Amino acid sequence: MATTAIAADQLNAERPRLPVRPRRVTGGKTISNLILIALGVIFTAPLLWLLFAAFDSKAGPTIEWPHLTLSNFTNAASSVNMQALLNSVYISTIATFVSTVPAAFMAYVFSRRHIPWKGPLLLFILMLAGVPVSILIVPLYQEFANHNWLTLVPASIFLGVTSLPFEIWIIKNFIDAVPQDLEEAARLERANTMQILRRVVVPLAFPGIAAAAIFGFINAWGNFLVPLVLISSSGQQPAPVAIYGFFGGNVIRYGWIAAYAIIYSLPVVVLYVGMSRAFRGGFVLGGAVRG
Amino acid sequence: MAAETTLVPPVLAAPTGRRQDRVRFQLGSIPLLAPAAILLIVLFLGPVAYSFYLGFTNLNLIGPTAINYQWTGLTNLNQLIHDPIFGQSLYRTAFFVIGSGVIGATGIGLLLAMAMQRAIPLIRILIGALVVVCFMLPPVTVAMVWYAASTSGGTITALFGSPNSDFLHSFPLVLVGAANTWSLTGLAMLLFGAALRNIPNEVVESAELERANPVQRFFRITLPLLRPTIVTTVLLMTLLSLANFTIVYIMTAGGPGNSTMILPVYSYQQAFQFDRLAYGALVGDAMVVLATIVSFIYVRASRARV
Repeated sequence: MATTAIAADQLNAERPRLPVRPRRVTGGKTISNLILIALGVIFTAPLLWLLFAAFDSKAGPTIEWPHLTLSNFTNAASSVNMQALLNSVYISTIATFVSTVPAAFMAYVFSRRHIPWKGPLLLFILMLAGVPVSILIVPLYQEFANHNWLTLVPASIFLGVTSLPFEIWIIKNFIDAVPQDLEEAARLERANTMQILRRVVVPLAFPGIAAAAIFGFINAWGNFLVPLVLISSSGQQPAPVAIYGFFGGNVIRYGWIAAYAIIYSLPVVVLYVGMSRAFRGGFVLGGAVRG
Repeated sequence: MAAETTLVPPVLAAPTGRRQDRVRFQLGSIPLLAPAAILLIVLFLGPVAYSFYLGFTNLNLIGPTAINYQWTGLTNLNQLIHDPIFGQSLYRTAFFVIGSGVIGATGIGLLLAMAMQRAIPLIRILIGALVVVCFMLPPVTVAMVWYAASTSGGTITALFGSPNSDFLHSFPLVLVGAANTWSLTGLAMLLFGAALRNIPNEVVESAELERANPVQRFFRITLPLLRPTIVTTVLLMTLLSLANFTIVYIMTAGGPGNSTMILPVYSYQQAFQFDRLAYGALVGDAMVVLATIVSFIYVRASRARV
């Protein structure tokens, strides 16, 4: 420590003799800041409208300083709209469980065990993650209609399956980072596979599993097309369809929509922040294995 | 712990006739693979295959062929090839995907990420957070906000047009694309930000010592090092834009006059508004083919490292 401190001091002492940095760097900094501010204003304006309109008693489609009120929120929180939010919670919760638990099992096998054609299979799963969901709508509608399944639970299970491929990838990457030594130690202690999964792999890969679960939840929470087509009863429709319903009337009440959209969108933003925390804290396993 | 070190691993304790020096498929893996595999086959791969079958039938949403539909061979495909709306839809989808996804979101995301490297921390954190929030918002919220901004009396129309003009009617595809760009740029920015932080400082510094100007540094150092990230981001933006039903459907429903009729909206309209389920399935099949081609190009591009 001491030697490096001295070395740093010597460097500092010599610094005045170094050539002054060229001026164009500061020019680059100014331009960078200006670009950021200009783009930032463009990106922020729609957000600002959403915020202002939600608290404005005379909200229109233009950004205006709000005539402050909370009545938009009380009006938007009608029993029908609250039911839609509750339906969104049901749908997303079912979808999260349907996707995360099978994804974790499959990810474990892909990460740890030998299976034939592992590389091509993983690539295939990644390609599935990129398939647009809207192409599955017609065949699923036909199948579900034949079985009288156009209700909340089958649609939620399907929404879970749409996030399954990507979740397998997220969880596999996190399990890859768990040192294999820990598992081998557990196996020496005669732990069976389920015990190893529950006591070793899941706790250590938990940030990844949590991130995958959050992804599944957000994916189901935001989907509009699947419930629109695959849920026939209007009482079971989730919040996105309710927002679409606001546009149906002769007069669009922007204040109400904005207030409801904020209530609907806020959980997603909170969950994303949680997911980024999970990703950042995911790889702190240095102390688990020595040598 | 110490007393148990003599424990013999079960694999060695029970020798079998099979070779043990090669890793084998364990039967115990099957129950772990089964749940995800069954779900994917029944609710993902099966429907894709079923969709290819339905595309070549005369299935309708209502009427006599809703139940008694049959294989009609290439009739639908023939119709699709000669369908002028489908042809325009392909062209508009390409414009939408390339313009708003590939050029718009990827380009602005890269610009933002690079500007952030040199910006004041306060501006960087504030604007970074705001752009990322735009990406986090659910698609329905994005569509609602942009509908309000671009309809008659909205902020964009009020800024650039006369009070009575309706920009969503005059420039629908551009505005729908802008909404798509707005919602995707945050993701591109995050991906590029991480990649830029991974570029070693030494490389940039040595280029500075060699008196490379900023343009040279960008084209000779930053861009080649970012190549893998650019390929990934372009693919991601392409697929996310291609799948974008919600924003377009809520803002314009494909109108006015089919001018924003991108493929997902056209498929939905044919299937559920014109009751032609089979034709809607066939338009969906065309999208599967498109998405597959795009993915293959991506795999090629990512392998061809310079």
